[in-house]
Amino acid sequence: MTGATRPGDTYGGISVRHSAISGALLGVALMAAIDEIVFHQILGWHHFYDRSTPAVGLASDGLLHTAELLVLVAGFALLADVRRRHALAVRHFWAALLMGAGAFQLFDGLVNHKVFRVHQIRYDVDVWPYDLAWIAGALVFLVVGALLWWSARRSVRTSGLADG
Amino acid sequence: MHDHPTNMGPGALALVVLLVAVVGVALYIGAAVRLRRRGDAWPWWRDASVAAGAGAVAAAVLPFGAAAVLPSVAAAAVVPLPGGPFTAHMAGHLLVGMVGPLLIVLGRPVTLLLRSIPVGGTRTGLLTVLRSRPAALLTAPAVAAVLDMGGLWVLYRTPLFAAMHDDTLVAIVVHLHVFAAGMLFTVAICRLDPLRRRYGLPHLAVVLLVAGAVHAVLAKTLYAQSPPGTMFAASDLQAGAQLMYYGGDAVGVALAVVLAVRWYSGVGRARHAGGVGRARARTVTVGRARRPAA
Repeated sequence: MTGATRPGDTYGGISVRHSAISGALLGVALMAAIDEIVFHQILGWHHFYDRSTPAVGLASDGLLHTAELLVLVAGFALLADVRRRHALAVRHFWAALLMGAGAFQLFDGLVNHKVFRVHQIRYDVDVWPYDLAWIAGALVFLVVGALLWWSARRSVRTSGLADG
Repeated sequence: MHDHPTNMGPGALALVVLLVAVVGVALYIGAAVRLRRRGDAWPWWRDASVAAGAGAVAAAVLPFGAAAVLPSVAAAAVVPLPGGPFTAHMAGHLLVGMVGPLLIVLGRPVTLLLRSIPVGGTRTGLLTVLRSRPAALLTAPAVAAVLDMGGLWVLYRTPLFAAMHDDTLVAIVVHLHVFAAGMLFTVAICRLDPLRRRYGLPHLAVVLLVAGAVHAVLAKTLYAQSPPGTMFAASDLQAGAQLMYYGGDAVGVALAVVLAVRWYSGVGRARHAGGVGRARARTVTVGRARRPAA
């Protein structure tokens, strides 16, 4: 969080670094919240706790879940601070948000569901189409975010200024 | 603590709690009004927060208090609590151990007290206690977290929970501990009132993270397994466990927002003061031990 004035981070008072950090934090936390609200609460697909979860999975799940909440708050606080300084690089922010969301989804799909087996996406059905869809969605977010980041960087290079 | 514990039913304790809540809020508002008349800035929402916090604690014990005054209410109160006895117990614990303490701590009652009493022996004594080593140890974030989460773990994972339902004295001690430990943890994380030691934002965030994780894990295990020696209906147990999980989330986010707001305003102040680096700003913000003007 330090180093607002590192060379290459700022363009005419715009802080790409802080915009990207706040976007990435919010992307991770928002995707975690969507996962919680849509699949746990609305669809009721996930089990709150399926008893086969091993202890290490339960502990890592507790830490991750709490971390997601803290990251959500930290992301908003950082965003508020960047905006207060009129230093928000809007396109970098959105690119980082998409990549953060995709990264969380990929991590959730691979580590939570498959390695720790905290819970599955759905029960009593063949689960692999759901896993595939979840991981494919993660890759789409990552690719779109990366493309947006690339175009934002290009526009910085050509104009010498980040948009926003 | 009490001379005749056997005469102290939960109803009598509830009446004492209600009395303390009402008197405490009245004293707080009286002191805040005097402060404002004197010209001190004391936002009105702090009064509202303390009143709401005391109200939350009072709401948790109200059914017992009402039953003590009007025995006929007792029968009515036992019947249709939504979700069953374990869920009702958990709702009470959420109010007494988390929501109430947070709202009370946001009102900075100790700061108000220090500003209200005249400079002299009492005030000096109070400051000495606040800045003493034992107080510093108790309000160390990690120590407070262990006392709060450890207490919860003992309550739900040893026969203590069952004992609480057999012995009124145990129940009273447990409920007082839940409130005291909740207050201690909230004070240790928020650090709004004057304390001896300062902790950086990363330290406070990590303690909050671990405490939140322990709370979440305990809630999930309760979903599957009753406290030893108790038998609750599965639906009741599951509703109570989810209430604990999501209620803990809500209060955890609120605590994180307190830290975030302090960081935000501290960074802003430091930047305003002129060219102070962010690293320095962080220690200024989070470690701020507000001492009342002597």
